[in-house]
Amino acid sequence: MGELTDAEGDVYHALARLAQRTPFVEVLAEAGTGLSVRYNGHSTTFQSPPRIRGAVFRAWTGAGWTEVSVSGLDLPTLRFAEAAIERVLTHRPAREAPPGDSSTARIEKATETPHSMRDMAEAEMRELARDAYSWVAGMPDIHETDVQISWRLDERLYLNSAAARCSQSICRVRGVVMPVAMESGRAESDRFIQGGVGGREILDGLTQEGAKRAGEGARALLRARAPPYGRLNVLLSPSVTGYFAHESFGHGAEADQFVRDRSYLRPLLGQILGPEVLTIVDNGAYPGAWSQIYCDDEGHPGQRTVLVDKGRFIGALHDRATAAALGATPTGNTRRSDVFSRSFVRMTNTYIEPGESTLDELVKEAHDGVLLESGVGGIEDPQGGQVQLKARMGHLIENGRVTDLVSSMALSGKVLEFLHSIRGVSGKEDFTLDTGSCGKGRTDFLPNSAGGPYLLSSAVVGRA
Amino acid sequence: MSAPRTRDAAAFRVADQLVGKEPWEVFGERIRRFEIHLNGDAIEMTRGPVALEGYDIRVFRPADGNLGVGSQASNDFTADGIRGALQDAERSARYASFPTGKLELPSGRGSTGGIVEVLDRNLWEYPMDSLESYVSALRAAFEGKPGFALSFGSVRATLVETSICNSFGLHTGYGHTQVELEVGVKSSGGPEGPPAGEYWFNDSDRRLRPDEIGKRVEEWCRFAEDVRRGRPAPTGEMPVVLPPGVLAGILPIVCGGRLTGSARLRGVAVQPGMKLASDLVTLHDDGRIPWAPMSSPVDDEGVPQRRRLLLDHGAISEILYDTLHAGAFDTHSTGSGFRGVSSGFRTWYRFLQPPTVSPSTIALTPGDGGTDAELVEAAHDGVWIQEIGWSSPDPVSGAFGGEIRLGYRIRDGELAEPIRGGTVGGVVFAPEGAPSLMNRLQAVGSTASFFEPVSTPPVLVGSLTIGGEH
Repeated sequence: MGELTDAEGDVYHALARLAQRTPFVEVLAEAGTGLSVRYNGHSTTFQSPPRIRGAVFRAWTGAGWTEVSVSGLDLPTLRFAEAAIERVLTHRPAREAPPGDSSTARIEKATETPHSMRDMAEAEMRELARDAYSWVAGMPDIHETDVQISWRLDERLYLNSAAARCSQSICRVRGVVMPVAMESGRAESDRFIQGGVGGREILDGLTQEGAKRAGEGARALLRARAPPYGRLNVLLSPSVTGYFAHESFGHGAEADQFVRDRSYLRPLLGQILGPEVLTIVDNGAYPGAWSQIYCDDEGHPGQRTVLVDKGRFIGALHDRATAAALGATPTGNTRRSDVFSRSFVRMTNTYIEPGESTLDELVKEAHDGVLLESGVGGIEDPQGGQVQLKARMGHLIENGRVTDLVSSMALSGKVLEFLHSIRGVSGKEDFTLDTGSCGKGRTDFLPNSAGGPYLLSSAVVGRA
Repeated sequence: MSAPRTRDAAAFRVADQLVGKEPWEVFGERIRRFEIHLNGDAIEMTRGPVALEGYDIRVFRPADGNLGVGSQASNDFTADGIRGALQDAERSARYASFPTGKLELPSGRGSTGGIVEVLDRNLWEYPMDSLESYVSALRAAFEGKPGFALSFGSVRATLVETSICNSFGLHTGYGHTQVELEVGVKSSGGPEGPPAGEYWFNDSDRRLRPDEIGKRVEEWCRFAEDVRRGRPAPTGEMPVVLPPGVLAGILPIVCGGRLTGSARLRGVAVQPGMKLASDLVTLHDDGRIPWAPMSSPVDDEGVPQRRRLLLDHGAISEILYDTLHAGAFDTHSTGSGFRGVSSGFRTWYRFLQPPTVSPSTIALTPGDGGTDAELVEAAHDGVWIQEIGWSSPDPVSGAFGGEIRLGYRIRDGELAEPIRGGTVGGVVFAPEGAPSLMNRLQAVGSTASFFEPVSTPPVLVGSLTIGGEH
């Protein structure tokens, strides 16, 4: 924990003093480093993550939480935070501990990699970006290509008055190639992305073959037909399956929505919602996945939590407050975007586990419909149980065969109807996890991953 | 925090350390943020102050006829910290390259932008008290409304002293406030009928508006009840009315993707004079609208903001530049260099990100389409889209679309039953003759209203694709 080691003593002492004023107080300190390069044939841009260090103190007042964040870990800055918390505690002294389990974990972990990104110099990153650009730049119709190579090392230190000490250092690495094809004023793009938690080895997956595939995808979209619209059989590609798991089920299973009586899923806990082939998981401990965490921001270890087991809805995602309110245990899903943002119950790596069908079998089963590919995103509706997903492209399915390419489209539907309509999930050979980000509402974005294999169901689709 | 100060502002403290390192620019912010979060109508958490002070150093170095531009953000104001940030910026500049040899940073002489109303004085002086009063009024507005309740909410206020200086002589600063409001309103209905519906509202503003709470709560409750009663959308190509809230999710991203110097550099911009929309469309970029979230006396490079004509009766007039892209095309910045803008949203701390070219507030000139009712009458048989889940515009292709979270069927020229679910989408801009939202505009309403980074009347689109159940 190179970036935080020098400040740990001062942070600890500030916490210890505050612990004399309240039954429970915690602090999360954060620092980061990294580098990103962007090349598009015209310009090369380098950017280092901000040299920002800071901390957030959270104390229990007896009736709720109060928080103070500061940007700095020097003694005067920590004293400022301490004094601000003390002022609140003077007016609202707490006598009893907050509800829920206070972590007592002692964790010290860092991303393990044979090839640290710290050893990859600016010149090498620039050369890789230029190589990736050259793989696509000469293709017909490809008008421009944007390449980004980046890594970020996020260091977090969590301490609380129950003696927890969790120190984690996570390195996220990503390479993106985005070719843009143009013809007669129409522009279309596709992406090839490789990313995860690790080191330089992740960028070995940024291959010429993958980049060219994205280039071909962008070119093909110039001549794509408009998508069909209305209720259809829909075959989701792995990235779109991931967005479905994340938007439809993951957000609804964040238990703060249960406590707010804002989740359509809450009364359905324990019920069968889908076929036996359906298992949905959130897994913060998934090795190497983009949203892997060793512990959450309340000091609970990242873990695998099964939300839906063979069609039955069995679990939700909890922080200490929701676990206490609902008689559960924390699941390691308390996360902050940074120390300047509040914590929420958040997903990590959320996915649908592989089934046993092959892609060919699912296409034949669909007979007629549409294959949605290259997921772009989606949005949840925890209260209403609706879901929206968007795909950059797709193919028609006609008479049990994949036929013409179609342009971007949106999917809309009621989650429970969609789950009940699932007719197959493909096997592990198709399983992928992506590298994305997710907000809570419109703010508080943090690294998030979703994935799965191919999945066949039915829903309304339309141009988007 | 008292009134805005500039003497000891973040950027100026750093600038003192940069003598001899010209050309350079420093953008600084001193930020205090306060938040109240609601669970139902109970206060779940108060936060604040979130105290954040930092700066970003940009250096510009010649590189084989081009410019090597490097930047580094930091919150370390010690001499060693500033030196370290400068070294990082210099290292980035060594490996970077931007295709211009011309650098024209503002000097602060001449127009300085003048006064734009972007600071809520009461909020500045009494931030937490102001938020608590606002939340009290919000909770009180639901009293006497059986069947309606807050399901969650938050109100967050950010108070910022922005300071900018550069080696060309610029030395400026201003204070501003920002308010983010997020509210979920639930309609429970009675024991019969459909389950509860929720209307989810997000807004970004420069000031708290407690006097508008009553009117807003009435509207949110009506929308929540309509979400509850909403029925599946129809299917087909049909006339669609889009109000300002929907256009706010579409126009800024697409304009940013096509009508800027960065798009021109990448070769995906449209050329001045090119017809891109119906004659009914006259579009400005206006960074001086009072209280708009993107308004300010100067942009984040210190160039005065003003009003720019983007589309004149459907034809491209101007495109937007920051200083770097202006240099690449031997023109001048339009005051469009902004930090922290992504996907149409702006972060509350901006110094962490370098400037990019971005629109400010997109303003569609009102037309002769009349009132909302007259637009609906002109649509005759179609759909009013009140809210799209996420319109997800693609800045490259211009495609947009998503789920209809709330809409209304238009029958015989009048609003009829609410609809919910299904999709709406299309392409925002397309060359003349090709189908697009802007080419198919049939009427522009006569009264503009302001919603986040957009000032626009509702518009009637002759035909868009609705994907529905029947």
